Amino acid sequence: MSHKLSVEMESIDNESLHEFEDEILSIPEMKAQKSHPIQALGEGSFSGGLQARGDKVWRNAVCKSIKTVVFSNKLNMLMPFGPLAIFIHIFTGHNGWVFFLTLLGITPLAERLGYATEQLAFYTGPTVGGLLNATFGNATELIISIYALKHGMLRVVQQSLLGSILSNMLLVLGCAFFCGGLVFQDKEQVFDKATAVVNSGLLLMAVMGLLFPAVLHYTHTEVHFGKSELALSRFSSCIMLLAYATYLFYQLKSQKNQYVPLNEEGSQNEDNSSDDDDETPEISKWESIIWLVIMTSWISFLSEYLVNAIEGASVAWKIPISFISVILLPIVGNAAEHASAIMFAMKDKLDISLGVAIGSSTQISMFGIPFCVVIGWIMGRPMDLNFQLFETATLFITVLVVAFLLQDGTSNYFKGLMLILCYLIVAASFFVHVDPLAADEAGLKT
Amino acid sequence: MGAIDGKVDLESDEEIPFSSSAATNKVEALDFEMIHLPSRPVIANSWIARHIGIRAVRSIYIVLLKAKINMLLPFGPLAILLHYITGKHGWVFFFSLLGIIPLAERLGYATEQLAFYTGPTVGGLLNATFGNATEMIISIYALKNGMIRVVQQSLLGSILSNMLLVLGCAFFSGGIIHYNKVQEFNKSAAVVNSGLLLMAVMGIMFPAVLHFTHTEVHFGKSELALSRFSSCIMLVAYASYLFFQLKSHRSLYNPILEEGDNNEECDDDEIPEITHWEAIGWLSILTVWVSILSGYLVDAIQGASDSFNIPVAFISVILLPIVGNAAEHASAIMFAMKDKLDITLGVAIGSSTQISMFVIPFCVVVGWIMGEPMDLNFQLFETATLFITVLVVAFMLQEGTSNYFKGLMLILCYLIVAASFFVHVDPSNDD
Repeated sequence: MSHKLSVEMESIDNESLHEFEDEILSIPEMKAQKSHPIQALGEGSFSGGLQARGDKVWRNAVCKSIKTVVFSNKLNMLMPFGPLAIFIHIFTGHNGWVFFLTLLGITPLAERLGYATEQLAFYTGPTVGGLLNATFGNATELIISIYALKHGMLRVVQQSLLGSILSNMLLVLGCAFFCGGLVFQDKEQVFDKATAVVNSGLLLMAVMGLLFPAVLHYTHTEVHFGKSELALSRFSSCIMLLAYATYLFYQLKSQKNQYVPLNEEGSQNEDNSSDDDDETPEISKWESIIWLVIMTSWISFLSEYLVNAIEGASVAWKIPISFISVILLPIVGNAAEHASAIMFAMKDKLDISLGVAIGSSTQISMFGIPFCVVIGWIMGRPMDLNFQLFETATLFITVLVVAFLLQDGTSNYFKGLMLILCYLIVAASFFVHVDPLAADEAGLKT
Repeated sequence: MGAIDGKVDLESDEEIPFSSSAATNKVEALDFEMIHLPSRPVIANSWIARHIGIRAVRSIYIVLLKAKINMLLPFGPLAILLHYITGKHGWVFFFSLLGIIPLAERLGYATEQLAFYTGPTVGGLLNATFGNATEMIISIYALKNGMIRVVQQSLLGSILSNMLLVLGCAFFSGGIIHYNKVQEFNKSAAVVNSGLLLMAVMGIMFPAVLHFTHTEVHFGKSELALSRFSSCIMLVAYASYLFFQLKSHRSLYNPILEEGDNNEECDDDEIPEITHWEAIGWLSILTVWVSILSGYLVDAIQGASDSFNIPVAFISVILLPIVGNAAEHASAIMFAMKDKLDITLGVAIGSSTQISMFVIPFCVVVGWIMGEPMDLNFQLFETATLFITVLVVAFMLQEGTSNYFKGLMLILCYLIVAASFFVHVDPSNDD
């Protein structure tokens, strides 16, 4: 049935390409919803050509698949930067440029990864789909962090994850409020206060859970200085992972019944677990899995170069490493969410924007960071939750202030502007921030 | 708007020798909080010199002699005299303090009178700028003298005093008067405003946090650069805040003047008491006068601290803001007693927001221009105090109700903060 549909749709292929290009960017937002993506995405099924005819068919399928995944998105113009970066690395070894180009190269890949995840989620049903979204939602950041861990760049890991939370809460939210407010100047946009409050409460608790090792360390009250704090971090991480599992379980279970109605504003839908619903998935199940694997490995590959180039870039451009980790790296991981949050705000769907921003922050604090600690434990790296005083204070203040801000349930462009300006100030502080740890390590033996 | 002198003028009404004319009746019929200046509408006569003479006298009468608070006026010149004759800094300081209070209040009065003539937009801007004129003038003098800590502490103390003392007194007085019911205020407006204040405070806190975690690239210098950058950003934010408020609340602006009264022009029911030019004239005179006294005030701070045995921190954080805030204090209390808590909150939180978003960054920029290393590094104790206070009060306001106990708690918290500054000495002397 879907084939027939697609055959008809193919004629509108070209138009849909243009019309729905923007909506394709919206795909990543769904991962935050933890539910089936149910937006009017690419109604035109571009890749309809699966007829049973052997090799030629197979090649057609591959071409169509590539076309769908790789070429249909404007963001993919940045893709060539990836291989370019590798060339430059091999030929010139100019770390600054390698870093920059890799950054640009990973951005479209991250977005396509989100896209592939959602396509796959069509086939796996809501539960596994939600899990997939939750895990792969921050896949890029996790991959970068794991590479950095392998290289022993623990501070980069901590700072990039922390920067991701900051960027989500301040920059993404600020841009969304600002753009939405500008588009809807005459009215005040509202969002569901209750949900926002609950989600920010969760985030606050997650952040609180992360802060204790740092506080312990900085009040110099550990039993075994340095070691207790590491043990505490590992213990806290396990607990946070447990909390995260429960969080997923709770969300998926309690939403199961509400799941269906989220479809096209209450259109027909008893079961959206099959692929024959209003939004036809654009690529088949196996294609999604394959693309998922391809994207992941491609991102891993590029991340290797990225991480290697960080220190060189810092020296070449005279920027502190903390600025690179806190401000520049998260921009890559968050680019897709950023775009989708803004787009939803402009469509007056602030709830989804908030879901994206806060959901992503919660995921990083409840899953991303503890996961890295555990991976570090496995790798034998002393990765801990001790984020250093400045970052810890910044994180806490930011989350507290934004949580407070979200309580009245309204938004306007001024609030968005304030959030963006606060982010600028935070970014500026990191620009002149140097790690005391570097000095410590030089002076003492760790 | 006429709030600030409302209370004082109300009482002085009885002292007015003139009887009420038709204008007075009209005015009285309208509202209580208005500047209730009875009658004597603008005299439009045709005598010239005598007319001007009468007008000048009338003007002086209205501006200088009517408000009871102006009894404190003589202290100003007295302070200057003392400065030249005895040079006893303690007394000079104390008297200048007393002398500036009525001037600050009259400055607010003149600003409002002028706002009648300029329309809501410019009026709002005027109020926003001159609302904290006294603090700004004192700060600029202190900057010129290189007393950077005094500037930081007095501005910070102004925010603390607004959020704790002014609010506390207002809630307390209002609660006592209306003790049989719980006073309510517009929750959402309060939450939005306190959210803004929280963001503003967050914006000015980062340089301090950076400095105190000893994580600057160039110790001491980066933090100054960051402060200047943040200040410029906060000024941009303030400009958009004004723009946003005036644009989106334009329609709401007028009704604030009178409870929902018609008023597009200035010759409305609240008859401004002095003319356009008189208002400008008085504005300039008062500003100049405040500047002169501030000069003496600032010079005397160090000496007063020595002779009275009080830390300079206490003087800057607790005593100086009392001067700048006296007028707002009085009006906030008055409105609370009239069960208009929204206006009270607007005064208190609005003033704090203005200081954190405008005055503090402005002082940093002025310091930059002057070449003084004024920065946003408020020292750990002040920064922590500020953040805790704003957070706690913001939370407390979320409920939307007030009673005298809340007011009392706020006042007591202020006493504790004041006491901590009494025993607080600046570590920066060792840096």
